[in-house]
Amino acid sequence: MEISLQSLIPIPLKDRKLHEQSGIWKKNCLFHQAEWIKIQAPSGTGKTSFQHILYGIRHDYEGAVMYNHQNLKDFDEDALAKLRQEQLSVIFQDLKLFGNLTALENIELKRLLSPGFRTSDSIQEMASLLAIDGILHQPAAICSYGEQQRIAIIRALMQPFDWLIMDEPFSHLDDANIQKAASLIASECKARGAGLIITDLEADNHFNYQRVLYL
Amino acid sequence: MLHTLLSKLIKNSAGKTRFLMALVGMSVAIFLILSAVQLQVNYYQLLHAKDNQDSIANFLVVNKIMTDQNIGSSSLSEEQIKDIQAQPFVESLGNIVPSRFKAAIQSNSDRFPFYTDIAFESVPSEFLDITTKDWTWTEQSNYLPIIVPNQFLDIYNFQFSISQNLPQLTPAVVKMLVFKVTIQTPNGPLSMNGRVVGLSNRISSMLVPESFMEWANKRFANSQSANASSRVVIRTKDPGNPMLVSYLKEKGLTTDADKTRFSRYRQVVDFVVNISGITGILLLVFALLIFTLFIQLTIASCKDEIALLVLMGSSPKQLKRFLMRRFYPPNIWIALIGLILISVTQFWLFQFLKEKQIFLSPYISAYTVMAAIGILLVIALVNHQSIKKWLRQKK
Repeated sequence: MEISLQSLIPIPLKDRKLHEQSGIWKKNCLFHQAEWIKIQAPSGTGKTSFQHILYGIRHDYEGAVMYNHQNLKDFDEDALAKLRQEQLSVIFQDLKLFGNLTALENIELKRLLSPGFRTSDSIQEMASLLAIDGILHQPAAICSYGEQQRIAIIRALMQPFDWLIMDEPFSHLDDANIQKAASLIASECKARGAGLIITDLEADNHFNYQRVLYL
Repeated sequence: MLHTLLSKLIKNSAGKTRFLMALVGMSVAIFLILSAVQLQVNYYQLLHAKDNQDSIANFLVVNKIMTDQNIGSSSLSEEQIKDIQAQPFVESLGNIVPSRFKAAIQSNSDRFPFYTDIAFESVPSEFLDITTKDWTWTEQSNYLPIIVPNQFLDIYNFQFSISQNLPQLTPAVVKMLVFKVTIQTPNGPLSMNGRVVGLSNRISSMLVPESFMEWANKRFANSQSANASSRVVIRTKDPGNPMLVSYLKEKGLTTDADKTRFSRYRQVVDFVVNISGITGILLLVFALLIFTLFIQLTIASCKDEIALLVLMGSSPKQLKRFLMRRFYPPNIWIALIGLILISVTQFWLFQFLKEKQIFLSPYISAYTVMAAIGILLVIALVNHQSIKKWLRQKK
């Protein structure tokens, strides 16, 4: 699936001069299928807004986001649900876990929303790979932020997707864990032939980016 | 599995008591509505069944109201009879033909002497409440069969016999008596034997077979229009029908007033059915309102969870299905329990009334089951609509 951005700008950022140097805001961009893209953005440049616009949560923008030539604004709630179940997976900066569900239940819920794609054994495998198998039965609310980040990463991998969109996914992980998580994400994306878009504050080499853009 | 996880997220935070209240309201509502339907069906069954003894209610003897103006012309004309027959509430009509000759009956026995002048009437046999093989007459018959109103026997037993110091008679004894019937013919008196073959509750008249009446009127009538009707008997589905009553009034006709007591029964049944039905429907509306409120509160109190579920990719369909599964099944149980309760009541009623010679179906009617399905469909529709509405608003 191709993503095409046409003169995209969030309305709150419209009057700021920031977008003059931006590689995305108010520009026309085309993200090809299976492309790995890094978007580097200092605070306040609209990093999270960008992710939310792509994911169809925010609608206060001008310009257009096109998925395979279809305007995101034209998606009805069923089409949006289908997009989120089959083509677009996401790791939010604020993770958005259900605090009263256990780590395992948070992941399981996502798995069951795309039934038949992954077995529940795969959760155990990934959890032990990222060293959170010990906390799977703890309520997510009492897990550390680093643990929650890893729960969110595994949750995002429980569904089929063409694009994985991540917003500072490793902010609370140490280098060793970042390495493990990044290689897990990379292999999952390769297996699906999927692209990834990662937004972060600083430059990094977590993945073999084909393109780096500045917001 | 998904259902279990969703149940953990979307709790009945609107309160169990309120949910229970809605369920109780719904139970009473469904029970009342189904009872009303079953009661109505039972009433119609009683009204129309052939095997119920209460069928006198369906036969009405209709004649002109006697006034100063129509003295001497009390007969119903052909047109009038046809008009009555054409009314929608008249199922069938039979002419009641009076005898147009003088007759008398007298006892053959000295032990039990009596003599009286008498007049007969005849009606088609299908309007009689007595079926006996003796109810035929030909010129070769040994005796003339007669049907006597039960009231006559009552008058005899409870007044006449006491005043005259005569023995009281049972219906069986009356049927054994053979007496002499004398007809005044232009050629002098003609005597034959007569016998009571039945006692009728339906038509208050001394009845003889139609064949005899036709024969005797033709030969001995002392006036023209030998077989004209003085009055008619009609069979109607419902003697309490207001259309029937107003028709009779309008045409200057009258009928046995005693039978209006059945229309009073009907009023009672209608009243009970209406009260039960209306209360049931009102309760259903209130219960549905509480349910809707309950759905709204649940969705409102879980709006963050629902928003997050939608972010995770739950489709509105999945959420609707989950919420329906959450709120709807108790209604199915309620309707089933309602049907079972009514089935038990119906069976009990069947057995209770059977002893009283009133025959009701031992099972509930298809209409009752259909009403239950109808109510379930209405509840499903209302639940579905309110879930759809509130989900959309929460987003």
